[in-house]
Amino acid sequence: MEHDNIYLTNLRDEKQNMWTGLANYFRKRSMWMLYYCTGCGAIELPPTMTSRYDMERLGMGPMATPRQADLLLITGYLSVKTLKRVIWSYEQMQEPKYVVGFGSCPINGGIYWDAYPVINHLEAFMPVDMSIAGCMPRPQAIIDAFEKLMDEIQQGKAVGYKRYRKHYDWYKRNQDLVLNRQSAVLTPYVDPFASMPTAAELMAQESEDSHV
Amino acid sequence: MYDHIFKRAQSLHGDKITCEKKHPQQLEIKTDRHYVMNLLSWLKTESYVHLAFISCIDWIEENQFELVYHVYSYEEKNHILVKTRLDRDRPWMHSIIDVWGHAQPYEQEIHEMFGVYFPGNPDLSGLFLHNWKDLPPMRKDFNPKDYSLALYSLKGMGHEALDMDFIQEITELEVE
Ligand code: SF4
Repeated sequence: MEHDNIYLTNLRDEKQNMWTGLANYFRKRSMWMLYYCTGCGAIELPPTMTSRYDMERLGMGPMATPRQADLLLITGYLSVKTLKRVIWSYEQMQEPKYVVGFGSCPINGGIYWDAYPVINHLEAFMPVDMSIAGCMPRPQAIIDAFEKLMDEIQQGKAVGYKRYRKHYDWYKRNQDLVLNRQSAVLTPYVDPFASMPTAAELMAQESEDSHV
Repeated sequence: MYDHIFKRAQSLHGDKITCEKKHPQQLEIKTDRHYVMNLLSWLKTESYVHLAFISCIDWIEENQFELVYHVYSYEEKNHILVKTRLDRDRPWMHSIIDVWGHAQPYEQEIHEMFGVYFPGNPDLSGLFLHNWKDLPPMRKDFNPKDYSLALYSLKGMGHEALDMDFIQEITELEVE
């Protein structure tokens, strides 16, 4: 049978059966995104979303809650504190779900590679389906990445969520390493004021010290 | 512009205080930490009602921390910086939340980032850092690069490179 239209062509992909191919076709055409604007990348989204570049022509739109979203945008650097919230949001999302990392920061830390609160490789904590290099990528690059992601969804390659499910222990181990660390990384800090003395006590102690 | 402040400050605290004009609109007052509270509450009555922020500087070679209180007057339209030095080994400073209530989070942050203790401040819990067990990170003897490499790099996390097997698997796993 000859099919010249793209969706039927894709159905011929050996890796997918007819139903997943069909489902993927519709999935890629209606993506609701949750943008987790942690970094500089947030500023590139308004032009991408509004009339200048208009991502709605790709069938994408903003969504208010993680439970209703398909696409999680990590727009820039992630501090440890936000990483925890991002993981919560990601785990709340319904499958199938996709993650796009914006800029170099989620790839390898970017200019924050040596900063103490910012993680370096997002890929180690959650599956990333698409990364956009650049600091910060322009809206054209973002649209381009979305189109690529749609292709990958159609071909059944954007399966980060399955990877997350299958290798949950690997991701969990990395998450725990950073989020639930039990000991100091370099030098443990002993707070000399852990007992919370009052000012009067401190002054009395100091005048004692100076008399000795 | 600052003459009356100069004179009055000298008469209040005598030789405990040094004033220097850093800029036409910036006066620096250095004093001992026990006089800061006094000085600030007096400045507040002298129209310096706005505490813009408190900063902390780590003078590691002198083994001291310096606290700088920036106050501003809307009437005079100028700044005063009140500076004081603390011993770096036992850094503590009277809390000024009785003079300016909004100093509370400033002090909380300095406590978190430098380890300076403010007796009298009701809440010195962590503000920004997650699960922090190392030296306070803004101290000069804390090395952020070593920290980042030890914790966030792939090697630090115990991986040689981001597992190539994983990337392989993306192509294999797609359909159940
Ligand atoms: S990649 Fe550049 S623009 Fe993007 S979050 Fe990092 S520093 Fe900011």
